[in-house]
Amino acid sequence: MPDGSLNDRGIASLIEPGRVHRRVYTDPAVFELEMQRLFGRAWLFVGHATQVPNPGDFITTDLGRQPVLMTRHHDGSVRVVLNRCTHRGIKLVAERQGNRQRLICLYHGWTFDPDGTLLRVPVDEGCAPGFKLCDFNLAKAPRVGVYRGFVFASLSPAGIAFDDWIAPMKQNIDDIVDRAPGGEIALDAGVHRYLVRANWKMQAENAVDSYHVPFSHASTVNQKGVQFSRREGDNEGAKVVDGQRTAPQWKQRRSYSVGHGHCWTSNTELKENERSSAVYDEYRRTLEAAVGKERSDWILTPRMHNSLLYPNVSFMGLNMHIRVIKPIAVDLTEVNIYPVRLLGAPEAMNERNTRLLNVTHAAASFVQSDDLEAFARAQAGLQSLQTDWVDISRGLGREEAIDPPGALRQMATDELVVRGQFRAWLDYMSEA
Amino acid sequence: MAGEYEQFLIHESRLLDERRFRDWMALFTEDGSYWVPATIGQRSPYGQTSLFYDDLELMRTRIDRLEHPLIHVQTPPSNTVHLIGSVTTEPGVPATDPESGLPASDVLVLSSAITAEYRLDRTRTFIARQRHWLRRVDGALRIVRKRVDLVNCEGAFEAIAVPV
Repeated sequence: MPDGSLNDRGIASLIEPGRVHRRVYTDPAVFELEMQRLFGRAWLFVGHATQVPNPGDFITTDLGRQPVLMTRHHDGSVRVVLNRCTHRGIKLVAERQGNRQRLICLYHGWTFDPDGTLLRVPVDEGCAPGFKLCDFNLAKAPRVGVYRGFVFASLSPAGIAFDDWIAPMKQNIDDIVDRAPGGEIALDAGVHRYLVRANWKMQAENAVDSYHVPFSHASTVNQKGVQFSRREGDNEGAKVVDGQRTAPQWKQRRSYSVGHGHCWTSNTELKENERSSAVYDEYRRTLEAAVGKERSDWILTPRMHNSLLYPNVSFMGLNMHIRVIKPIAVDLTEVNIYPVRLLGAPEAMNERNTRLLNVTHAAASFVQSDDLEAFARAQAGLQSLQTDWVDISRGLGREEAIDPPGALRQMATDELVVRGQFRAWLDYMSEA
Repeated sequence: MAGEYEQFLIHESRLLDERRFRDWMALFTEDGSYWVPATIGQRSPYGQTSLFYDDLELMRTRIDRLEHPLIHVQTPPSNTVHLIGSVTTEPGVPATDPESGLPASDVLVLSSAITAEYRLDRTRTFIARQRHWLRRVDGALRIVRKRVDLVNCEGAFEAIAVPV
């Protein structure tokens, strides 16, 4: 039984093969430790290079709870620096995005370049003896990695190398980016922001949960058990329910756990041969012209539904978006959903995708709103002290080993992907 | 005439408060739309995120869901009260103006709306600037476009289940 302390032994006692202790979702002390050891160490998604196209462009975000700036420096490089003046700790930039060639602190006017270099301090004759500008540059994220424009940072100088961390999930990023006839995407079509009165892990787990759909999302399914159409060119969505039961088609989905907490679920078969509309057909022709018919057909055959790059970002293939998880407190999380704009695609196709995302993943959407309700009610239910354990044992012992070594697969309605996340969680949360 | 428009807006908001969603939808023309932007001063619902941008087809799907017995985010349902004020009018957009990006309408009615929503021991408030592009069809006013600019539209929201 958990002994209550948060030394390595205490932390390890919260995770068992098929269950986790309620405290991982409800204990503020566990959350504080997550901010240090998990969000303070792991590779985290920061933003996409297209959010800062020009020198001086910036976006602000938080890594864990730490305020950061992603900037485009004068030399064209993308930088990740802490959004904290090195003088008296002021958050340098308040806006969500903008352009500034110099970052000037509102309090005393200390002036920085977009890469964090301190350029000048007012009244420099007042500086202490030995004061050197270069000792007061903005703190940098110790490590930054970029894949296809997606910028990740680690706030720890040590830990798994970016290439090793991203390698198993490159295909999942490619799955979306390759759909752009120009071979690149942009995250410049706005954002959906929602607040969840629940622990951040609820959203991470839910992103790859295929078990909940027929029940949580029952109100999106018609009397034939088919969900509303979620893609341009489809007449209807996936078959989810058959009578009162989960549909056989739905049960064919598979989930994959590939280490580091990374995981994804495969897609449900939709009627690919019947997918057609003026807008979609035009997009398809554009992609074929860019990459050839054979490759285009391969790209447009859905393989992945949702992919989680543990711990803070997921990529969804069905309603194309990037979902960023921002923990605020043990029971409060902000989630940001960015539509993906396919560069080189007809704008009408991008407009349709963005529009459909309003009804699937806005705060006012048909799909996500029932998930938010589920998370909040989970957080409320977990206040019960009579039952300490949360069951994640579905499919335990039935995992199927696949390539590469260590990767596992099973029915997507099982809980392999949750167990995989907690394995990584335990690695990060251990002291060493 | 301003009185007629104000009465129309009050009637429309009352249909939402009474959860008569199908009657509410019937106020819209067949080419009507309901738009709640996600950014302040948003110029277009295309190519950018919106909290709502429903044409009649999406509105129908939304209302089917609101009437579904297993809509968890409305179990129990929200209880809302709208307050409509500061109603003024401007000329509408003539049908001969395709460049404006606005729907052809007889009149544009500007208003402010405050909506209180109670559900599960929590009350929250939506405050918005509203714009209704209205057209008279067979003697009755219909909505060609309703645009609701929430004062905090750029903020993060908990789930919004009913039209604001």
